[in-house]
Amino acid sequence: MVKASVIEFACWDPVRVSPVLRGADAQVDRWIGRWKRRPWVLRRFQAGVAAVLRWEEQFRHCAEAELRRRLRAACEQFRRPARVQDSTLYAALAAVCTAAERTLGLRPFPEQILGALALYHGFLAEMATGEGKTLTAGLAAVLFGWTRRPCHVVTVNDYLAERDAAWMKPLFDLCGVTVGCVLASMDPEARRAAYACDVTYTTSKEVVADFLRDRLQLAACLGNPVRVRLQELLQPHRRKRPVQRGLHTAIIDEADSVLIDEAVTPLIISGSTQAAADEVVFHQAWAVASSLRAGVDYQVNPRRREVELLPPGQTAWEEAWTVHSALWRSPARRSQLLQQALVAREFFHRDVHYVVQEGRVVLVDEFTGRLMPHRRWRAGLHQLIEAKEGLPITPLDQTLARLSFQRYFRLYRHLCGMTGTALEAATEFWHVYRLPVLIVPRHRPCIRIQYPDRVFADAPSKWSAVVDEIRYIHSTGRPLLIGTRSVAASEELARRLLQQGLSFQLLNAVRHREEAGIVARAGQRGQITIATNMAGRGTDIKLGPGVAALGGLHVIATERHESPRIDRQLFGRAGRQGDPGSARAFLSLEDELFRRFLPGYLRRWLAEAVRHQTPGAELAARVACKMAQQRAAREAQRQRLQVLRHDTWMEESLSFAPPERL
Amino acid sequence: MTTDSLSSESWHRLADQRLALRPDVRVRRQFFRGELWYVLEDPLTNQFFRLAAPAYEFVARMDRGRTVQQAWEAAVRARPDTAPGQEEVVRLLAQLHQANLLLTEQPPDSVRLFQRARQRRQRQWQTRLLGIMFARIPLWDPDPFLQRLLPWIRWVFGPVGMVLWLGTVSGAIKVALDHAPELTRQTEGILAPQNWFLLYAGFALLKLVHEFGHALLCRHFGGRVHTMGLMLLIFTPVPYVDVTSAWSFRSRTQRLWVGAGGMWAELFVAACMTFVWAATAPGTLHSLAFNMMFLASVSTVLFNANPLMRFDGYYLLSDALDIPNLYGRANQMLAYWIERHAFGRKEAENPARSRREAVWLGLYAVCGHVYRVVIFAGILLFVGKRYLLLGALMAVVCLVGWVIVPMARAVMYLLASPRLERCRGRALGVAAGVLAGGFVLLGAIPFPHYFRAAGVVQAKDLTLIPAGIDGRIVELLTPPGRQVQPGQPLVRLDNPELELELQSARAEWEETVARERRALHEATADVRPLAARRQAVEQRIRELEEELAARVVVAPHAGQWVAPELDQAMGRWIPRGTVLGAVANLEAYRFEAVVSQREAAWLFQQQLKSPQVRLRGQAGEVLSVLRQTIIPAEHRRLPSAALGWQGGGPLAVAMDDPEGRRAMEPFFVVRADLASHPRIALLHGRSGQIRYRLASEPLLSQWLRRLHQLLQREYGW
Repeated sequence: MVKASVIEFACWDPVRVSPVLRGADAQVDRWIGRWKRRPWVLRRFQAGVAAVLRWEEQFRHCAEAELRRRLRAACEQFRRPARVQDSTLYAALAAVCTAAERTLGLRPFPEQILGALALYHGFLAEMATGEGKTLTAGLAAVLFGWTRRPCHVVTVNDYLAERDAAWMKPLFDLCGVTVGCVLASMDPEARRAAYACDVTYTTSKEVVADFLRDRLQLAACLGNPVRVRLQELLQPHRRKRPVQRGLHTAIIDEADSVLIDEAVTPLIISGSTQAAADEVVFHQAWAVASSLRAGVDYQVNPRRREVELLPPGQTAWEEAWTVHSALWRSPARRSQLLQQALVAREFFHRDVHYVVQEGRVVLVDEFTGRLMPHRRWRAGLHQLIEAKEGLPITPLDQTLARLSFQRYFRLYRHLCGMTGTALEAATEFWHVYRLPVLIVPRHRPCIRIQYPDRVFADAPSKWSAVVDEIRYIHSTGRPLLIGTRSVAASEELARRLLQQGLSFQLLNAVRHREEAGIVARAGQRGQITIATNMAGRGTDIKLGPGVAALGGLHVIATERHESPRIDRQLFGRAGRQGDPGSARAFLSLEDELFRRFLPGYLRRWLAEAVRHQTPGAELAARVACKMAQQRAAREAQRQRLQVLRHDTWMEESLSFAPPERL
Repeated sequence: MTTDSLSSESWHRLADQRLALRPDVRVRRQFFRGELWYVLEDPLTNQFFRLAAPAYEFVARMDRGRTVQQAWEAAVRARPDTAPGQEEVVRLLAQLHQANLLLTEQPPDSVRLFQRARQRRQRQWQTRLLGIMFARIPLWDPDPFLQRLLPWIRWVFGPVGMVLWLGTVSGAIKVALDHAPELTRQTEGILAPQNWFLLYAGFALLKLVHEFGHALLCRHFGGRVHTMGLMLLIFTPVPYVDVTSAWSFRSRTQRLWVGAGGMWAELFVAACMTFVWAATAPGTLHSLAFNMMFLASVSTVLFNANPLMRFDGYYLLSDALDIPNLYGRANQMLAYWIERHAFGRKEAENPARSRREAVWLGLYAVCGHVYRVVIFAGILLFVGKRYLLLGALMAVVCLVGWVIVPMARAVMYLLASPRLERCRGRALGVAAGVLAGGFVLLGAIPFPHYFRAAGVVQAKDLTLIPAGIDGRIVELLTPPGRQVQPGQPLVRLDNPELELELQSARAEWEETVARERRALHEATADVRPLAARRQAVEQRIRELEEELAARVVVAPHAGQWVAPELDQAMGRWIPRGTVLGAVANLEAYRFEAVVSQREAAWLFQQQLKSPQVRLRGQAGEVLSVLRQTIIPAEHRRLPSAALGWQGGGPLAVAMDDPEGRRAMEPFFVVRADLASHPRIALLHGRSGQIRYRLASEPLLSQWLRRLHQLLQREYGW
C-alpha cells in the first residue's frame, strides 16, 4: 500500500459548486428529484441485499485468513471505484458484514445492509431511530475507505464522533482501513493525522471550520495546484500545510440536523480586532438598554427576534450618549447599537443561550445542548452580553471567512447520509444537496407508546405535573429520561426533584464530564436522568436487566422544540431496536415555542381555557402546538433560503474577492 | 437578526482588497432636483451609473494604494454622518463590479467572466425576443461623419438658424391655414391602401432627419454618437440613433435640446414640405410632400411629444423634471405606496427624495397606466373590427402580456416575495379584500340597468291624404296649418280628361239605351247583350263620377292639415296616390320606438319598468309614458327615415332603398302614449329615445352579456 500518493490527492481547485437552480429549471429539477426518490428503487436495493446475504452465508464459515485475503482483494478492487461491478460490490459488502460480526459481535440486519448500499449509491437513507445507523455508516465507510479517498463521517457532536470511531475501529482494522476522529479539542497536528486516515469521524462544525482555516492558510496559492507545489519547493520552511487532504466523500449521520436544522446560520471564522477603545460604548449601550421599558421605548417582535426602537427610546439614547468617536457619529449606527443591546436583553438569557464560565460568556448549542467555547456572537452582540453580565469586554471580532453548510456540503463529490426523518424535507435535500431520499423499512416494529401531550397554562403547574409523573413512574421501577430545553430548565427540575428527595443524574452543558457514564447507567432500573438536548441524537440507552419486562424506558419531554425532529430524537431514546418504551411531552403555554410562534391573543385564550379545564382545550392546545411548529419550520426555511440566496448573490456579485474568503 | 448596516457579513471578502474605479471611467458632477450626484460613464459600453454624493465620497477614496477597509475608514472619518455603512459599501461595490467599472487586484476569474458574458448574451436574446416589437439592429458609427459635417452646419444651432427655423415654420403654418379646406380633404384619403407606400417612404425619410437632428445636436454639445441603425418598430424598419452620452451633459438645457432635436428637425422639414405641397400640382411629389407634412405634425404630436409613451417627450419630461429613469421610478413609487400604506410594510424604501418628486412620480405612474390601457383597448377594438384573426391574436397577446403575466407576477409576489416577509398576512388580506371588493362591486351588487331604444314622435291620429285621382292641383281649399273638421274640403284637383271621359261614357250610355229600345222591336235577340253593355257603361259612369267627386280632397277626420310642400305644387300634374299632405290630430301623440331583434328579448322577458322618453335636443326633459303596447310581430319598414342610418339613426337600412326606411334587420315596434309636457313641443317626426329601467343586475353580468352580443354580432359566435 503506497500511502504517500494518497495524501497528495488533495484537490484544491477553486471552489465552484453547481448553482442552485431557479425558476422553471428548479421546477423541472423538482420533478427529476421526485423521480429519483421513486419508491420502487427500493426493490433494486433489496435484490442487492439478497445477493449480499447469499455471499455472507458462504463467508460465515471461512477461516480468518481467508476472510482477510478476501477483504484485501476487495480493497484493491475498490481503488478504482469506477470499475467496481455490482457483483464485486455485493461480495465485498458481504465480507465486511462478516468482518463486522466477527469484530463487533453485531451481525448486520438486512435493513442495515440495504442502508449501506443506499449510502454507497449516494442516497439519503431514512432509517428510524434505534435501527443501528452507526453500523450502517460503518459498513459504507469501509467501502469508501478502500478507495483511499478522504471519507468524512459527519455526526452532530463530539461525543458521537468519538464513540462511533472507537466502536467501529476493530471493523476498520480488520478491513485494512485507517480511521481517525476530529474533535473540537484537538490541535492541528492531531487533526492532520486524523484527516490523513481513510475514514475520519468528525462533526459538521469541525469539518467546515478546518476547511475554512485551510483555505485561509493556502490563500496565496489557491486555485492552482501548481502554485501550491511551487511554493512548497521554493520555500520549504514556510510551507503551510493544510490539515485536510481534500473533500471527496461524506456520510452524514443525522442528515436532517446537519443539513437542515444547523444550516440556518453559516459558519464564520473570525479573528479579533483591537477595538478595545469601544468598551465604553458597549457599557453605555447596555446601561441605556436596561433602563428602557418594553412597549413604551421599544417594541419587541418575538417571532423574528427583533426589536424596534420607538421615539422615546431614541430620545433617551441620544441624551445618554457621550462618546465622540468618528465611527459613532452617524445616528443610524448608534441606534443600531442600542437595538442590538435590546436584543441582548430580550432574547438572550443566561443558562439558556449561554453560560458564564471562568469569567467568559460561553454559548450553548441550541440543537445539541452542548457548550461551544470557541463560538462568539457577532456584530457587537457578544460584547453587549459581556456588558450585561458585567464581564470585561473582549475586542470585536472580525470575520475572516464565512461558509454556509449548504455550500460546503455541495463541494463533496459523493454525498450521502442517514436520518430518522428525511421525507418531510425531501424536496429541500434534493434541491440544495441533490440527495434523493430512500426510505429503508424498519427491522423491528417500534413498540414505543407515545402518550398524548399534556398541556398546562403556566410553567409552575407544568413542573409539578412533571414531578408527579416522575414520582409515579419511578415508583414502578422503570428508568426515566427527562429532556429539558435549556440548562436553566434542567437545574429548575433538579431543584424540584431534590425537594421531593428523589435521586437523579443531571446531564447538561455545564455538567457533561461524566456523559458516557451517565448514559450507560440511564437504562438501569430505577434511574432518573435529566438531560438537555445532549441526550438526543444517537445516544443509545441500553436497558438494564429486567427493565424491558417493566415497560422499558420512559421519556418525558418538558417542552417541545421548534423542530419536531428534535422532539422525535428525544422520544427515540425509548423503544430502541424493538425494546418496549413510552414517551410523553409536557407543555405549558408559557413555553418559548408558544411565546414566539403563536399570536398573543390565542395564547392567552388557550391558557384561560386550559386553566378552567374547558373540554377540548387540551386538544386545541395540541393543535396550536403543531401550528407553532409549522410556523417555526417556515421561519427556519426562510432563513435557510436567505443563506442560500446570499451565497448565490455573493458568488455572482463579488467574484473579484479572493476565493479563500468564500 | 437585524441587517446591520454598520458591519456586513460579507465585509471580510472585500476589506483588504485594493479596488479602484477603472481609470478610463469618466465622472461628472450633476445636479438633479437640486441634489448633487455623480454620473460615471463607461466609455467602452456607453453605459451610465449614477451615484449619490455620499457613495461617491467613498468611491473617490478607493485607489490601488489603499484597501477597501482603509478607504472606508477614511470616508467615515471625513463624513461620519453620511458615509455609507459596510453593507451599503458591499452592495455598491457589487453593483460597480457587475457594471464592469472596477479595477481589481485579483486576477480576474476568467470562468466567471465567461459565465457572466454568456448570461448577458442570454439576457440580451431574451430582451430581444420579448421586445420583438422594438428590435434594434445597429448598423453604423456616425461619429466621424458627424464630426466632419458639424463645422459646416454649426451655424444652424446658432441665432441665424433659430431665426430661419422660426421664419420657415411660421410661414408654413400660414400657408397651411390658407389651404385648410384642401388639407382636410386630402387628409381623409391618407390611410387609403394605395397611399401606404408613399406614406412609409415619407415616414422613413422624416425619421432619418429626426434621428440626425438628435445626433447632430448631441455631437454639437460634445456628446459622442456611436451607434445608428434600424429599429423594427412593429416590424416596420425605422432608423434610430443612440444618444445616451447626452446623459452626461452637465447642463440640463443641453440635455433638453438634444431630446427636442429630433422634433425640431422634423418640424423644419415639415414646414419646407408644406411649401412644396402648396406649390405643386397633384402628383407623386405633391403626395409625398403632403404625407411628410402630415406625419411630421401628427406623429410628433401623438407620439414623439407625448411623455406617456417612451419616445422623445418622455425623455424631455424626465429631463425637465430632473428625474432620470422616470418610468421605472414612477412604478417603484406606486409599488412603494401600495407596500407602505396598503400592506403596511414599514421598511419599504421611498424611491422619491422629496414630496414634490413623489407627487410627480405618482402622477406619472397613474397617468401612464391609464393611458396604456385606453390606447391598447382602442387599438384592439379598431383592429378587431376590421381583421378578426389579427384582432384575436392581438387580444390574446395583450391578455397574456397585460393581464395574465402581471397577475401571475402579482400572485408570486404576494406569496413568495421576501419583501413581504413581515407583512404577508396583511398584504394577502388587503389584496384579497381589494379583489373581493372589486368582485362584490362588479359581480354581486346589482346596478340599475337600462335599456334604450330609438324612436320618433308620431301623432296618434295621422292620416296621409293621397290624391284620389291623377290630376292637376288647381286650388288649395284650406291653407295648410289650419285646423280642419271632418269632410272639410282641402284641395281641389282638376282632370279635364276625366270629365271628357265621363261625357263620352254618358254618350255611350245614351247610344246603348237607344240601341236597346230599337232591338226590342227589331231584333229581340240583341236585347240581352245590349242590356249587359248598358250596365257596364252605367258602372263605368258611376266610377267616373266618384273619381270626379274625389277631385275635391276632404279631411277624413278632425285635426291639423299638414301639407308643407303643397304651395309649391300648385298647378303641377300629380299621379294618383301621391301624398298631398296629412291631417293629424295634434291633441294626442305617441312615441313609436324600434327595437332591433337582438335586444327584443328585453321586451318580452321581463317587466319593463318606468319607461321614460327623452327627445333629441331636449334630453334634459323627461316625458312620461301613459300607456304602451308592444307589437309582437316583426317589422321591416321603419316608421321614419330618421331612425335609419341614412337619416342618422341607429338602425341599418338597405342602401338601395331611396326612402331609407327598409331596415336590414327586422325589428319590433313599441308604441307609447306620451303625456304632455309644458316645455316640450311634441311635433310629429321628432326623434328621441325611450328608456326602460330593467331589473338591477351586477355590472359584471351586464358586461358579459354585452361582450357576448358583440361577439355574436361581429363574428357570429
